[in-house]
Amino acid sequence: MRALDTAATGMMAQELMVQVISNNIANMTTTGYKRQRAEFEDLLYDHVSQIGTQTSTQGNILPVGIELGTGVKTVGTPRLMSQGNLSATGNSLDLAIRGDGFFKILMPDGTFSYTRDGSFNLDNQGRIVTAEGNLVQPGLTVPATATSITINEQGQVSVTLPGSTTANLVGQLTLTRFVNEAGLQAIGDNLFVETPASGAPQDGQPNLNGYGNLQQGNLEQSNVDAVTEMTNLITAQRAYEMNSKVITAADQMLQTTSNMWQ
Amino acid sequence: MENALLIGLSRQSVLQRELDVIANNLANLNTTGYKQDISQFEEYLMPVARQNNFRPVDSRLSYVRDRGTLLDLRPGPMQQTGNPLDVAIEGDGFLAVQTPNGERYTRNGALQLNADGELVTPQGYQVLGDGGPIQLQQQDSNIAISAEGSISVRTGGVANVSVIRGKLRIVNFPQEQRLQKDGENLFATPADMAPADAPKAYLLQGAIEKSNVNSVVEMTRMIDVSRSYAMVATLLKNEGDLHKTAIQQLAEVPTS
Repeated sequence: MRALDTAATGMMAQELMVQVISNNIANMTTTGYKRQRAEFEDLLYDHVSQIGTQTSTQGNILPVGIELGTGVKTVGTPRLMSQGNLSATGNSLDLAIRGDGFFKILMPDGTFSYTRDGSFNLDNQGRIVTAEGNLVQPGLTVPATATSITINEQGQVSVTLPGSTTANLVGQLTLTRFVNEAGLQAIGDNLFVETPASGAPQDGQPNLNGYGNLQQGNLEQSNVDAVTEMTNLITAQRAYEMNSKVITAADQMLQTTSNMWQ
Repeated sequence: MENALLIGLSRQSVLQRELDVIANNLANLNTTGYKQDISQFEEYLMPVARQNNFRPVDSRLSYVRDRGTLLDLRPGPMQQTGNPLDVAIEGDGFLAVQTPNGERYTRNGALQLNADGELVTPQGYQVLGDGGPIQLQQQDSNIAISAEGSISVRTGGVANVSVIRGKLRIVNFPQEQRLQKDGENLFATPADMAPADAPKAYLLQGAIEKSNVNSVVEMTRMIDVSRSYAMVATLLKNEGDLHKTAIQQLAEVPTS
């Protein structure tokens, strides 16, 4: 019976949806996390009797055909790149991006990755690094004697040195944009890498030409919405249950058939 | 004599098909823009039993067969997502999509961008606007899609001017029932049915249309199918027993 296989595709799809939801909920408080959504589509159809075929020589045509579907498949789990809420931390090296763009991070293997998580620190040489110790691009060094760091909306980093009342500019942070942000590949640690689907990275100055601006002393929270996730979880669980009932019904019908023989 | 068996069998094979349709509907309970199928049956009168000249007339045998699956195009519930690239279609209308096999139509408005900035479906097929695919530029942000389908963006520069990048093509069909499901949430049209503009369909940005499968109705249909199937099976079994008893008793040779 085809219904058995069809219902099995349904159960697998709902299982995947629960998996996506559970990852979203697990990352509800992860800085800069962007939630994912499972997208489904129907599988191929078996056109048992084709719509519009002639049923008589008088030119009568079938108004409806028999189309038997074969189930559902997952087409992707795109990330929704909407803005997360900002939460103030007061830490001068916490940066949140308001608007479009990613921080560019130099990985130990020499490649670049991108993140919305702006919880930065200084390493032992005074360079700005991520929580994992990877360098934030373009590399900036803060003098060891600096008493305060100011990063403005445009990404200009200035420091105040002891005995001086004026701020000295030490560098300029840039942001990177992609045509299709949802096409970036997540590699864990809040990092993304470029893919053929995302388009080429475009560096630019914050707060100009559509790039977002930087908010010092803030972190971007994840954009996971608990209510949405919970309602999706209920939907997925119920759909899973119903697909399992189809399998039970198909099984019972087969059992009935086999019991006819005595 | 075997007519009862054959009639019962016609019912059983139709019920199996109906369960296949229900299974597909339930498997697509969470598929965006999915439209459910409904099984339709018809009575099939056996043409040879027509000796009606004598009284009482032969009762005609009626079989059942499945005539078709009806496409239920009722709108599904709208779910707010807040994603600027999600659109739900209110009213009769479809988005036009360019696939390798030609133009297809969909109600799934969960759109994406590809590496060139073109609006695509989750499968990567280009969504068509009035003048072909719609392409956004590198500097574009704040995408707004109007009810009529115009896509406007804020684009670079200090002035933050709003620019229109295209207008989504929303179409409908004179005979929607003739649309064929093509998988991947897409519908195909027969060669002699051209899409027309859909002036009464509106887009709602930040929402998607869920599947229009009503789970309660499908569950009751399923119960109906499995109970009917068991009932027919009992009927067939009784008929078989009848045959068995008849053969056994008639073949008994008196011993005395």
